Amino acid sequence: MRHSILLLTLCAAPLLAGPPAKPVPDRDLGLSRATVFEVPSPPLFHDEASAPGETPLPKRINKEYPPVIPHAVADFLPITRSVNGCVDCHAVPGPKQKGEATPIPASHYVDLRRVPVVKGEALVGARYVCLSCHVPRTDAPPLVASTFRR
Amino acid sequence: MSLQLTRRTFLKAGFTTAAVGATGLPLEALPAEAKGWNWERGVCRFCGTGCGIRIASKEGRVVAVKGDPQNPVNRGLLCAKGYACAQILYGADRLKRPLLRKKNGVYDKQGDFEEVSWKEAFDVMKAQWTKAHQALGPAGVAVMGSGQYTIMEGYAAVKLVKAGWRSNNLDPNARHCMASAVTAFMQTFGIDEPSGCFDDIELTDAVVTWGANMAEMHPMLWARVMDERLRRPDYRIINLTTYANATSEGADLEIVFKPNTDLAIWNYLAREIVKRGAVDQDYVTKHCVFAAGAVDIGFGLREDTLKAYPAEKDTLARQKTVVLTRDEAIARGLDPDARHERSQSASATPQQHWLITYEEFQKGLEPYTLDFVARIAKGDPDESLEAFKAKLVQLADEYANPRRKQVSFWTMGFNQHTRGTWVNEQAYMVHLLTGKQARPGAGAFSLTGQPSACGTAREVGTFAHRLPADMTVDNPAHRKDAEAIWNLPPNTINPKVGSHIVQMMRDLEDGKIRWLWVQVTNPFQSSANANHTIEAARKLDNFIVVSDVYPTLSAKVADLILPSAMIYEKWGGYGNAERRTQLWRQVVLPPGEARSDVWQMMEFAKRFTLAEVWGEQPVAGLEAPGFTKGKLPDVLAAAAAQGLKPESTLYDVLFATKAAKACAWPDPVAFDKPNSTVVHANIRWFPEKALFEEYRRFGLGHGHDLAPFDTYFQRDVAGLRWPVVEGKETRWRFNDEYDPYAKKGSGIDFYGTAMKKLPSGDLTGPKPGEAKALPGRAKIFFRPWQEPPESPDATYDLWLCTGRVLEHWHSGSMTRRVPQLHAAVPEALLFMHAKDVEKRGLKVGELAWIESRRGKIQARVTLGGRNKVPRGLVYVPWFDEGVFINKVTLDATCPISKETDFKKCAVRITKVV
Repeated sequence: MRHSILLLTLCAAPLLAGPPAKPVPDRDLGLSRATVFEVPSPPLFHDEASAPGETPLPKRINKEYPPVIPHAVADFLPITRSVNGCVDCHAVPGPKQKGEATPIPASHYVDLRRVPVVKGEALVGARYVCLSCHVPRTDAPPLVASTFRR
Repeated sequence: MSLQLTRRTFLKAGFTTAAVGATGLPLEALPAEAKGWNWERGVCRFCGTGCGIRIASKEGRVVAVKGDPQNPVNRGLLCAKGYACAQILYGADRLKRPLLRKKNGVYDKQGDFEEVSWKEAFDVMKAQWTKAHQALGPAGVAVMGSGQYTIMEGYAAVKLVKAGWRSNNLDPNARHCMASAVTAFMQTFGIDEPSGCFDDIELTDAVVTWGANMAEMHPMLWARVMDERLRRPDYRIINLTTYANATSEGADLEIVFKPNTDLAIWNYLAREIVKRGAVDQDYVTKHCVFAAGAVDIGFGLREDTLKAYPAEKDTLARQKTVVLTRDEAIARGLDPDARHERSQSASATPQQHWLITYEEFQKGLEPYTLDFVARIAKGDPDESLEAFKAKLVQLADEYANPRRKQVSFWTMGFNQHTRGTWVNEQAYMVHLLTGKQARPGAGAFSLTGQPSACGTAREVGTFAHRLPADMTVDNPAHRKDAEAIWNLPPNTINPKVGSHIVQMMRDLEDGKIRWLWVQVTNPFQSSANANHTIEAARKLDNFIVVSDVYPTLSAKVADLILPSAMIYEKWGGYGNAERRTQLWRQVVLPPGEARSDVWQMMEFAKRFTLAEVWGEQPVAGLEAPGFTKGKLPDVLAAAAAQGLKPESTLYDVLFATKAAKACAWPDPVAFDKPNSTVVHANIRWFPEKALFEEYRRFGLGHGHDLAPFDTYFQRDVAGLRWPVVEGKETRWRFNDEYDPYAKKGSGIDFYGTAMKKLPSGDLTGPKPGEAKALPGRAKIFFRPWQEPPESPDATYDLWLCTGRVLEHWHSGSMTRRVPQLHAAVPEALLFMHAKDVEKRGLKVGELAWIESRRGKIQARVTLGGRNKVPRGLVYVPWFDEGVFINKVTLDATCPISKETDFKKCAVRITKVV
């Protein structure tokens, strides 16, 4: 994560950083440093390649944001009704033991749609497709710095 | 398990049980581990699902969001984008001051951007408006709006443009999103928006997705679908698509069809339902009629080729004349060996339709046999015809089963379609034939892409032809109603429908629109055939204003950029795909000099006197009863008689009305939350509430009833589905058990009134005779399958389909500034089949040219992962301005809805050397 913070700092946008602002040509605005008429060659990025447990867990954005997946995912996908490669490893009882996958938290066993609310032993179906909330990662640095504070 | 343990589990998970009761009190006690965080309730910024959200703020900043456990839409969950609703506010390049292109201290279209004051920005903006208005009249100015406008913003825009400027050139990006759904609702039911609601997901037996990759595009609805599927073995998911996608991964049955053949599949289903005797005779006899329409309606392309690139001309020629293919001849019951040339003679009147008999309807379906449809519709060349046929039969077995209920969901695969209106109507055709519409757990259900495509674009009516509550500008009675509510003199509102958003781009290129204000959208990235539009914007004599929160691609082509307040920096409201209206309070202040869009419109309105806009105005092509040809009348004298003086400003007349000022600020409903619009305007009234309350008047008593503003902030209200009558929401419209507007005892009452008086005829056209009224009935249309305007050929040999990805919203202006979402999907990739990659000497990760008749761009090749395309088709998401795929796409539209077909055109792929 330290790596990412460094990148965030380096990428801080020069635009509107403080007065007096110099005239800005349109090519310097926005996410691509090109005019709208240019045809850029998109850069090459690589999917996270590490195996589960190989890299330290990144710091979470905050406790409400689902943790980013810190390892390669291709081997565990797709998630189908009969096979869920994520659950295979992460459905371990907490708290986390050394060498084990991060356990799926208690919230994922609480079904808020049924009335009264059900706390069961099974993962709630609405949370079955892990990738709806937990995103994988590549080596792409941020395009623009974020001033979001946890 | 002890109560205490349960409670701890909740807290650990960040959930608290929702308290119900007292009105408007602060929402809930704070979770123990988040002291100092102030929680407020709101709505997700992104898709049409409309997930309820809770927003934590601390020291004037949003610090976190979570799903609202009380909200029935999402019950405490959000998708990866939804959880980023806090971070989207904090990209380092938020726009904080107006930026104007200048040279030597003055505005210059060829200048670079310099910071200016709001006063200077509005001065130049107004001077340029006047220049365009004097040269071209009200049709020379335009506003591009949005399905992401709040309800209040959309309503303010309608008033400013339609009542103030007397122009109907207001059209939203929602034109690209669900215009086809609207036209199909209007033609089928005579009233807009779905009969069902999301509760159908839990109540149905089968979910059939048609051109809707719900797993990526509506992840929290997909969560509900998967939840049901995992608990009910007899629940089925069927995915119809042109390539294998994330939705296929959860589906019981996947049907990959060839682009555009969805229409043939629906006709096969209808034919089967008829042949198998599965028609619900009672339902059809009591509640439906049969209809057909014009067939040679063109493709919404330009009629002329004056601005066309040489390579475009062959596709454009099909706007005039089409030579039927063998299969098209078969589908029309013609001799397949003869040459059939068809002038697209109905391209000016594509909406025309008439009644036919049931026998005539069956005659239309007759060519759509299993053999024929399977042959033309099979989308994967590597699948056997027999396997594909077996799948179609399974699909028919599902729909034709009288003991099972189905919900058919669709999104852009249907709506962005040159026959978008037709294919929407075909979904209703099958559901109406089987009596599975407007009943709990059964119905054809159009999902919307944007958070307020329904709430604002449709219900408020920010389309070029619309007024609020389904009314239209070309209907004299509707104009009269609007003029009464708005206190306007008679004939103030322009009766000529304005330019839709695709036409606006063409008008810009033709010099017919010379002043354009873009609000809450990024049209220069999102419009097809973009080489034309960006050239028109940058190189012609026009003035383009873009209001936004970040510098988008549209901002780059603009002449003036205005910094806007974002979602939780303003009061607002959205309406989701199930008619649920949800309002929110402002939570934090906008940064720098960013201002709410409501403030921008009110403030700009101060610069117009009635004398400038309400005198006689030229409008080319205006022809309407009570109007002089080509002219809007001078209404200043009538205005003066109403107490509106020529020197009154549009701000006085439209916004700061007596009724509006009666909505006082501060207001107890705010619970000490701020209102920056009030502060920046230096007023003592509450514009967002005033706009909402006035807007409500349009729908009350007309089946569009909304609750009072304050009701939506009650602690026990997580949005309400309209019509809200006597405090009660409506889950299933047209069903007399649930909808107070449906006549009691009718069972089903399709009470919409638009287009409900029709002549009769046969499949070829209407016959002379009296038009027949159709109260309470829906129309079952026969619509034929046809070839699209452009298909792969020897030069451009692949289909191109475009769309979204889960991690990014639209053009990525917000989500690409969220580090983890960007890191997840940093750029748009070119999804190809391995054999197509190999054939072109390409490798995964390499750069390829994607080239069409209209332009070429580069992208990197991938074999899939989430999308596995069949041979012959490629997929490119459009969120990435660095992979500007809309330079390649075709600007063909559904001729009825005018919605662009972004899902199919022909391209060639070559290696970048």
